[in-house]
Amino acid sequence: MSDLPVLVIGGGPAGMEAAKGIAEIGYRCVVVEKRNILGGTPELANYAALTPNFEDAGEAMAKMAAAINGDPNVEVRLGSTVTAASGSAGNFSVTVKNSKESEQVDVGAVVIATGFQHFDPGRETQQYGYYEYDDVITLVDLEKMLKAEKVVRPSNGEPPKRLCFIQCVGSRDRQIGNEYCSKVCCGVAAKESIEVRKLLPDCKVFIFYIDMRMYGYWENEIYWPSQEKYKVNYVKGIATEIRMKGDRLLVRGEDTTMGRPMEVPMDIVVLSVGMEPSAGTREMGAIFGTKLNQYNFIETTGGALNTVGTSVDGVFACGAAVGPADLEDSISSASAAAMKAVAVVRKATMAS
Amino acid sequence: MIPHSALFNKAKDRKFVADPAQAPTEDYHDIVDQLEREGEWEVHRVPEPYMEEKNKYGRVKKIPVETTWHHKSCGQCGHIPGYSTAVFWINRKLGLDYNDPTDQTSCTAWNYYASATSNAAAQAAVAMRNFAAAEETGYYPIIHCATSFGHYKETRQQLIHSPELRRQVKAIMAKLGKKLVMPEEVVHYSEWVHVMRDRIAEHQVVDMSGLRATIHPACHYHKLIGEDAVYAPEVYGAQRSAIITSLLRTLGLDVRDYSTWFDCCGFGFRHILVSRDFSRSFAVQRKIEVMKEEADPDVLITHDTGCVTTLDQSQFAAKAHDRNVGLPVMSDSQLAALAMGAHPYKVLQLHWHSTNHRPLLEKLGIDHEKAWAEFEESAEEIRSGKKEYLTWEECDV
Amino acid sequence: MSGKPQAAPGTLDLSGRQYAHVDYDEKERLLEEVKQDLRFDEYLYGCYECGICVAACPSARFYDFSPRKIAQTMAREDADLFYVFLNDSVWDCSQCFSCDVCPRKNSPGGIITLMREVAVKNGLASAAEALEGYGRVVYKIMSTGTQVSPDMLQANAFPDWGPHVKDIAENLDVWRRAIPPETMHTTETSWQVDSKTITELYLIWHMTGVMDMIKEVDEGLFMILQDVMEEKLEDEGYDLSFD
Repeated sequence: MSDLPVLVIGGGPAGMEAAKGIAEIGYRCVVVEKRNILGGTPELANYAALTPNFEDAGEAMAKMAAAINGDPNVEVRLGSTVTAASGSAGNFSVTVKNSKESEQVDVGAVVIATGFQHFDPGRETQQYGYYEYDDVITLVDLEKMLKAEKVVRPSNGEPPKRLCFIQCVGSRDRQIGNEYCSKVCCGVAAKESIEVRKLLPDCKVFIFYIDMRMYGYWENEIYWPSQEKYKVNYVKGIATEIRMKGDRLLVRGEDTTMGRPMEVPMDIVVLSVGMEPSAGTREMGAIFGTKLNQYNFIETTGGALNTVGTSVDGVFACGAAVGPADLEDSISSASAAAMKAVAVVRKATMAS
Repeated sequence: MIPHSALFNKAKDRKFVADPAQAPTEDYHDIVDQLEREGEWEVHRVPEPYMEEKNKYGRVKKIPVETTWHHKSCGQCGHIPGYSTAVFWINRKLGLDYNDPTDQTSCTAWNYYASATSNAAAQAAVAMRNFAAAEETGYYPIIHCATSFGHYKETRQQLIHSPELRRQVKAIMAKLGKKLVMPEEVVHYSEWVHVMRDRIAEHQVVDMSGLRATIHPACHYHKLIGEDAVYAPEVYGAQRSAIITSLLRTLGLDVRDYSTWFDCCGFGFRHILVSRDFSRSFAVQRKIEVMKEEADPDVLITHDTGCVTTLDQSQFAAKAHDRNVGLPVMSDSQLAALAMGAHPYKVLQLHWHSTNHRPLLEKLGIDHEKAWAEFEESAEEIRSGKKEYLTWEECDV
Repeated sequence: MSGKPQAAPGTLDLSGRQYAHVDYDEKERLLEEVKQDLRFDEYLYGCYECGICVAACPSARFYDFSPRKIAQTMAREDADLFYVFLNDSVWDCSQCFSCDVCPRKNSPGGIITLMREVAVKNGLASAAEALEGYGRVVYKIMSTGTQVSPDMLQANAFPDWGPHVKDIAENLDVWRRAIPPETMHTTETSWQVDSKTITELYLIWHMTGVMDMIKEVDEGLFMILQDVMEEKLEDEGYDLSFD
């Protein structure tokens, strides 16, 4: 029996990297992507620059897509989803559906790379007014504006004089149920803060935080420069309420370092929304029977020592489908999943 | 390049829908039922007819329409009698059967919260005694004071999680010859007003269109065990509780926002009695002045005893210091009754309020001098011994 | 309080100097008492010092008061700091529970409820002082089943509420009978409470140890309440040797 291909579900950064890895080893893969374009969330949400090195997100995604499009080992199926699956490691039979037809595809292993979605601020415990005030936006809304190089107040089209980020929106909160840190929002906010300061040198920028999560090299790649070069104000103390006073927003928090309640006017408030499992992640969990964790991300079974194995043999998961992940994590785990998936296929071929 | 117009994701285009499947908490309904199955207590079910409303997480909450047992409020009955009177009056006007009990104690928040002269067991026993008394009458308890309401939600929470507390309270109830009864829902009367708003509006005889109002939601209503409060998508996009606002809009008022909407009124509990400078400063500076400056309202409507008291009674002393005050305060029940034609003094009992309500009545075309004369006439009949009490008949119910 | 070093008026002295004379063991014992309450586990999880509670708190705007510092102190189990807050800060809390917006689901207001009860149960002078002027309120509610009764609206008690208080006081009896609900024609209570109901309330106070708490913090009040309650309970045929 010849090698069956690996099924890669999701054409975002993790999926594309996994596909590239599989192809490079010389094995085949089928990439199933529900949208009509590769690039995942960075593409969908119009990311401007990637964290932490400020590469153009659009260019980076295009480069990744180019690496697999036209590769004879990679079959990309856009506008398609996986709707059913059966079988076991080495031989799965999956149903791939697009707008025209449904097809059975036999694969040897599966890599789930269905990613995440951003937290909906409507479920936030604090009163941030995202559904009430035009000028309360999310990191994603700001990325869009940064990509267009035009950051203005949605309410009146004027550039802001005061802009702030509020960290941990939708994360680290027992009342919401997302009792985890979403890992990337601190880096993204710091990155965006630098971009705003570059674009609008007259705009004061604040970041209200509980803890700044600046892992590894982020510390001096983005945290220090944002403070030292770009004079972004970091205030330890998060906000409980955003109200409208006159034509400006009023942010209420505590400046804990100074030990006093704080009510400050802002032109734009950016909510650093966290990550939640995407609908696709939850669906694939159901279809393949892989265990989901309490937050409905796909549970990996090896702790720190196996970051891509799921409860079902031959099915691997990578990127943000398993939990909050930054781009580095996603790229790394995608390669790990690719390697392990290929091993399953190879083993099946050798056994037959 | 992204078109300019697509950049601005405006608030009005954003839609939020609460999904109960994503609710982070256990559903108290399930646990209350489970404990009944285990023989821990008896659940007093909400009688029909009832209305179903959504709570903060999109779960269903049942609100009874009639056959209600009215758990009264100390402060209301003692100092703002028009508040409770209005609730009963509306029930009577709508022809609804209700019970106004004498077998009812205060929730004793004056001990538990205000002065710590109580404890978890005493507090729970007082609550359960009242609930058992209600169940014995066959009428379903609805709570007049927002603090009692928040309080009883806390008690439910404690009883759900502590078998030791349940055991203790059950033993006390047994000594009193009472069953341990847990209501299916803990219902605040303003939730009843919310579900009845259309029926109230059907009886509206006073035109309130264009009357400017600000509202104040009680902390104990929506912050204490915050899940169990009423939310509706058509009111603040279900991001803030719907009570009071829904009623006022239905009656045609222009409900205006202000920047300290979420702030406490400053009641403070013991503060309102023994540290009044705090309550007064807070109510005036954080609430009244902000409302007047930003919203210029004709009336301030709230739904709790402590809030009415603090917001109303804090204005007089502040006036002596030339603060920007003078905003009449009343409850949603009083306003609803007024809209339905209730007498401002016989029913609303506005003479117990501090801030001048006469400009408001004038704006609504209500002859307050005539009304006051009618009340005084009635009072004189009582004074002279001609009659004992002012009756419901005299109030057209 | 003479001889004790004092903080400047209006400030909270977190050095703990003023309570250096109190035995550390005693402070720890009181801390432990708070932690042992059945409600404690749901009032304090962990604290990441975010300040949301302070931002939402009305008392933090007026007093030198911080629910965050109190929650932090309990999380650290710092008995010295705890004792300072127990005496000098907990009575500033407005018990509004705005602080229940805590993302860790702590309830600083709840912790304060427990701290206050411990202060009362242990007869702390600061608790007695905080409740000075409140005795009449406790008496009223415990003995009659309601509080803020109509007869408490006296002009000399509420001069700042306005001239209507005087009118009410002068017309009280008539104006109370000029209220339609039949249960509200009372002046000494907010509404009419059944005799049997009062008896049940007295039994609750006794059976749950509340009378013991009152005894610790206000002996005079305790004695008056005891007299009133014992008399009624005896009339109703209750044996007062409660266990």
